[in-house]
Amino acid sequence: MRKFALWTFAVAWLAPAALPQDPQRVTVAFSDPARPKKLVVDMSFGSVSVHGYGGQEVIVETSNRAGIRAPGRREAEPPPGMHRIGPSTAPGLEITEENNTVRISSARSPFAQADVTIQVPVQTSVTVNAMRGNSISIDNINGEIEANNLNGQVTITNVSGSVVAHSMNGKILASLNSVTPEKPMSFSTMNGDIDVTLPASIKANVRLKTDRGDMFTDFDIKTDSAAQPPQVEDNRKKGGRYRARFDRTTIGTINGGGPEIQFTTFNGNILIRKK
Amino acid sequence: MTCEEAKSRMADYWGRSLAGEAEAAFSAHLASCESCRSEVSRVGALWQSLDLLPLEEPSGKVRDRFYEMLGAYRQGLASADAPVRRRWWTQPAWQRAAAAALLVAGLGLGYGLRGTSQPPAEVSQLREEVASMRQLVALSLLQQQSASERLKGVSWAYRAEPSDREVLEALVSAVNHDTNVNVRLAAVDALRRFASSPETRRAVVDALPGQTTPLVQVALIDLLVDFKERDAADVLRKLAADGQVNDGVRQQAQWALERLQ
Repeated sequence: MRKFALWTFAVAWLAPAALPQDPQRVTVAFSDPARPKKLVVDMSFGSVSVHGYGGQEVIVETSNRAGIRAPGRREAEPPPGMHRIGPSTAPGLEITEENNTVRISSARSPFAQADVTIQVPVQTSVTVNAMRGNSISIDNINGEIEANNLNGQVTITNVSGSVVAHSMNGKILASLNSVTPEKPMSFSTMNGDIDVTLPASIKANVRLKTDRGDMFTDFDIKTDSAAQPPQVEDNRKKGGRYRARFDRTTIGTINGGGPEIQFTTFNGNILIRKK
Repeated sequence: MTCEEAKSRMADYWGRSLAGEAEAAFSAHLASCESCRSEVSRVGALWQSLDLLPLEEPSGKVRDRFYEMLGAYRQGLASADAPVRRRWWTQPAWQRAAAAALLVAGLGLGYGLRGTSQPPAEVSQLREEVASMRQLVALSLLQQQSASERLKGVSWAYRAEPSDREVLEALVSAVNHDTNVNVRLAAVDALRRFASSPETRRAVVDALPGQTTPLVQVALIDLLVDFKERDAADVLRKLAADGQVNDGVRQQAQWALERLQ
């Protein structure tokens, strides 16, 4: 029988006007701290930062920053003699724990807004999806990391394991101390640089593609032209023409090759640094 | 000699088959052991009285009955023998010849089959098994929870046969439905391998309007240009004219339209 536990917390927001910055704090325990742990964050507005710490529980702190607004909504001026009660849109944050997975989402309202700081045990797999978030930052984690941001930077520092990160309009900054063998990784952004620091001993195959940028590294990346022969079409016998095309993706190996690491950007540079 | 050993020899002693050293050792033990001596004399007396019983002599009737039985047996044997006529193939000489012929035929057949049809059949079967194993790995990994595992599934799809329809369908489904942008991007790249199939080209054209992530849109447009897919013109024109679409994507679509003219 699988142990099953469900915790639900709805963090209602009734901060008094005198203390608009007062953070809300909730602590959630994992059902079984000995088994693999997972954190999933889905936020509509606001920034998310996740830090690994020495404890075994998940500590969620939210603070409602003045000034974060749903797009297109302007804050009304208080009438004479009155003051603001508090931020008008409560974040309606929901935190659940089920099957050793803690989920934090603001999905209860499309206009919910909050900055969230989350502390988790270091050995946790982390997935963060931010819609209109300012930034995602993930620090001191050992596990599988996934980050998707729409309008903001993704910063991943001091982590081990594997990283799959995307930002539509932001920079991707990642630094790994060590990598899980045989795990592919991928970094992509439409408009921004990809700046990734990898352990010096990493074995990997890299696929690099930037449409309007440059690529730099201090690794010894072997780009083997034999590994990517041109695609040849020869229709001359049928009265057609001969065509040889080289793929625009650069393929190379680091330290003899290994699992695939993909770097894709449209408007940006790719930087691969050696730790 | 111990009492155990002495007891095992007693039967021989009474039957008078003990001799030499064994008899000397047995006698020596009897001389030294009171209990064995008393047993030998007690049971020995019984043996001697058995000897005294008169031997039973068979009567004359026993002899008559025996010859009667022997006669009947001989008669039965003769009557059973009579109808059996030996067929030629039951003759040992013929049997030996047939066995030799079969052996030669078998060797010839084996030699003929060697190095012709058998090994290529095995190799192609093995190849099929490897291909279906790769297909299985790719398909199951593409269903995983973790994006990294699904990326691994996409890289396995590169090793599948370019004609593998199930892998193609799984990749197209990943392009259309995978929640992770990076997995979708990798799947678009992997579709390049399936370029020869018109289904792939159709699927790429169909996938484009459903995508909202600019990077994936750009990757699909690039793929259509590589495929020289003229049927994509309508979709590309719509994309280039759509004010909601990312500027970079619209420029890419415009460029693709010019390339495909």
